[in-house]
Amino acid sequence: MTDAYVIGAGQSDFGSFPSESYRSLFDDAFDEAIDSIDNEFDTDEIDEAFLGTLGVGGRQLGLSGPAVTEHLGLHGIPTTRVENACAASGYALRQAVMAVRSGMADVVLAGGYEVMTDMSGDHTKWWLGVSGETEWERLSGTTFAGVYAQMASAYLREHDATVEDLSRVAVKNHANGAQNPHAQLGFECTLEDAMNAPDVAAPLNLYHCCPTTDGASAVVVASEEAARKFSDAPVRVAGAGAASGRVGLFQRDSLTGIPASETAAERAYDEAGISPEDLDFAEVHDCFAIAELAAYEDLGFCERGEAPRLLREGVTDPDGDLPVNTSGGLKSKGHPIGATGTGQVVEAFSQLRGEAHVQVDDPEVGLTHNVGGSGGGVTVHVFERVDGGDL
Amino acid sequence: MSATLGLAATGVYVPHRRLSADEIEAAWGTSAPVDRAAVPAADEDALTMAVAAGQEGLDDWDGEPADVANLFVATTTPPLAEEEFAPRIAEALGLSVDVRTETATQSTAAGAEALLAGANADGPALVVVADAPTGDAAEAGQRLGAGAASFLFAGDGDAVLVDSARRSRDAPGIRFRERDSEAVTGLDVTTYERETTRDLVASAVDALAIDHEAVDAASLHQPTGDIPHRIARALPYGGGVVQRGTVVDDVGDAGAATAAIGLLAALAESDPGSLTVAGFFGSGATAVALAFETESAIGADVASAVESGESVDYTTALRERGTVGETDVAGGGAHVSLPSWQRTIPQRYRLEAGRCPECGAVAFPPDGACPECHERVEFETEPLSRTGEVVAVTVIGQGGAPPEFVEHQRRDGPFAVAILEVPTADGSDGTARFPAQLTGSDSTDVSVGDRVTGRLRRIYSVEGVTRYGLKFVPE
Repeated sequence: MTDAYVIGAGQSDFGSFPSESYRSLFDDAFDEAIDSIDNEFDTDEIDEAFLGTLGVGGRQLGLSGPAVTEHLGLHGIPTTRVENACAASGYALRQAVMAVRSGMADVVLAGGYEVMTDMSGDHTKWWLGVSGETEWERLSGTTFAGVYAQMASAYLREHDATVEDLSRVAVKNHANGAQNPHAQLGFECTLEDAMNAPDVAAPLNLYHCCPTTDGASAVVVASEEAARKFSDAPVRVAGAGAASGRVGLFQRDSLTGIPASETAAERAYDEAGISPEDLDFAEVHDCFAIAELAAYEDLGFCERGEAPRLLREGVTDPDGDLPVNTSGGLKSKGHPIGATGTGQVVEAFSQLRGEAHVQVDDPEVGLTHNVGGSGGGVTVHVFERVDGGDL
Repeated sequence: MSATLGLAATGVYVPHRRLSADEIEAAWGTSAPVDRAAVPAADEDALTMAVAAGQEGLDDWDGEPADVANLFVATTTPPLAEEEFAPRIAEALGLSVDVRTETATQSTAAGAEALLAGANADGPALVVVADAPTGDAAEAGQRLGAGAASFLFAGDGDAVLVDSARRSRDAPGIRFRERDSEAVTGLDVTTYERETTRDLVASAVDALAIDHEAVDAASLHQPTGDIPHRIARALPYGGGVVQRGTVVDDVGDAGAATAAIGLLAALAESDPGSLTVAGFFGSGATAVALAFETESAIGADVASAVESGESVDYTTALRERGTVGETDVAGGGAHVSLPSWQRTIPQRYRLEAGRCPECGAVAFPPDGACPECHERVEFETEPLSRTGEVVAVTVIGQGGAPPEFVEHQRRDGPFAVAILEVPTADGSDGTARFPAQLTGSDSTDVSVGDRVTGRLRRIYSVEGVTRYGLKFVPE
């Protein structure tokens, strides 16, 4: 079995671009990904594609994957559209890794796209609570913010944590996102800003919630042989973990963490032969501030209830022991649902090649963590730098 | 008359919010027609109030819901102009599938028809009179209220119907509602109206074969507080007798339900051996008089239901009633189809969970593999308690609601949604969790650890079909 390597990764700007289409946004991401490949690369080398999207707005629900690859001129290659809510492209990457490792393909495109801001306010809302256990969660009057807010209420009750800890996630991620030219909300915010925003779903306020976003991201995954040929500094997919969980928060044993994150992380660490202490940075799924706190604990960065301490002590700041969401995270960079998972890989690829906007000091190992819904599907990938002659 | 079933159990429901005469007078610059009127919440209607009163009646009875053979419902405000709604009430109350259902409507005298049907039924009969009329806020709307009363007729009872009488006359225009309109109105031909009402009701009451001197209390047609006293001038009843059955100044004009709630109020304080009279009236016109003889005090705590309540301001009342803030719902994602909703009715109305025959875990909803052992099993029915604990909760602010809930939010404001943990109904091992909307004026103050209890309310209406389910109120 060959290992799988990331040889190129790119993203469109994340933001509100009502005049763009899902295809034109993917064009941008694809171009940046191809440009990032070190050596001369003909897109005819791409054997297969896996593209993630939820299909917000109901646009092109059928065959949107082939509609994108044909639009790009990747004529005739097998393309599969992957749907796992906000983890759609985390799973698209997983499919690409499996295709390469199995030997069925040498070069595979993984990516995702979403357009969320070109609809009326009412129409948009229809699409914000579609990935929970809809027959029960949606019908009790919640969209996603409400479900994560319930999680936050239980967390604040169970642990020594306050709303201020939630706001610290926003402050840190905005500080990082302010350095990222692709970020949707690329500005800094103060703790005061993040404490005094209007409530969206108490206890979560506006600064505890990611925005709705248009955007696309693309990653080129290659076999060892192809990686050697096209890249001077490929990034090895050292661990690919994934897990499913009950789709409704109320159906799970834990209201304060995401069991599927824990399982996916264990699987990724096992495969990579590492433990969380070996990580130099992580991109975690901070769709809501509480999700970043839960991620620290689910991914083993700290014990249960210790996540607020990591934030208070700056452990996950860019100069801390384990920088988290140097890209700005979903909070600042934006969360174009289907594009988020491979968007995180764009940051991991940049960090491990020393090209990030908020560069961590000489990282060797990083992680991406992509959650679908409130935890019904999760992928965790561990990436390793490959030094010059090692390949 | 032939032997009738005794009144074995009773229930009453009046919405908590009340609009005071002061608010009405300040808003309109006129004197208010009633002292105060009940304001149904945004998620209440005749069906939910019927279930609330019916449930109280069943709880007051020593029989089982499945023993009820007849369900007679009366209202002037069925949620739809055409479609049965009694079966939905029967389902929510857990009545048998072969229960006979009948709905009396189209008249404020409908309650009397349902009561007569119940008293003369061939087996245990639950009679529910529930109403929530609406009208032009500047006219009839000033006095309109809401409420419900239930009467369970079975073999023996605390009171027995001893006689009934009717009078009818071609006399329209006093109170009517045109097709396709939700607003009741009247021509306000004052003398005609008062004389017709008085003559018809008084002559029906007078025709009762009873000793009128033995009547302790009377609930007479009461669109406003003065009408029953005007009717009584033609009868040998003093002001005190009439007052004991008059509730309109607390409840408002609750259509068919006012005289029924008044009847319960009268029965609640009547002494054994005494007679209580009800005089129903419906424009068009018909009057029905009923006489009950009391054997022992009835169960319903009518006084506290009628006299309690929380005052709200005029804007809140208009919002809750939907006078302002109505909106249409357009289609989109996350559609839960009617059939997929319908197959979960036992869960949504009655919290029927399942018990895994393999590992004993409680599953809610009882669908799919067991949540504990993950085996694919046929769950045994395990009803849950309607009271449980909040384990997680959020308050959905303006703008944060799914579109299906936007109208409710416009009318009722921010709402709380909790994850509840509830025990089984019989206290056997295991608990279940599920998400649920909270309702009631103090529900947005609920926090983790608080206890709440279930009430059937309107969830939302899509494509003309209203979906009902349990919401929860702070205990």
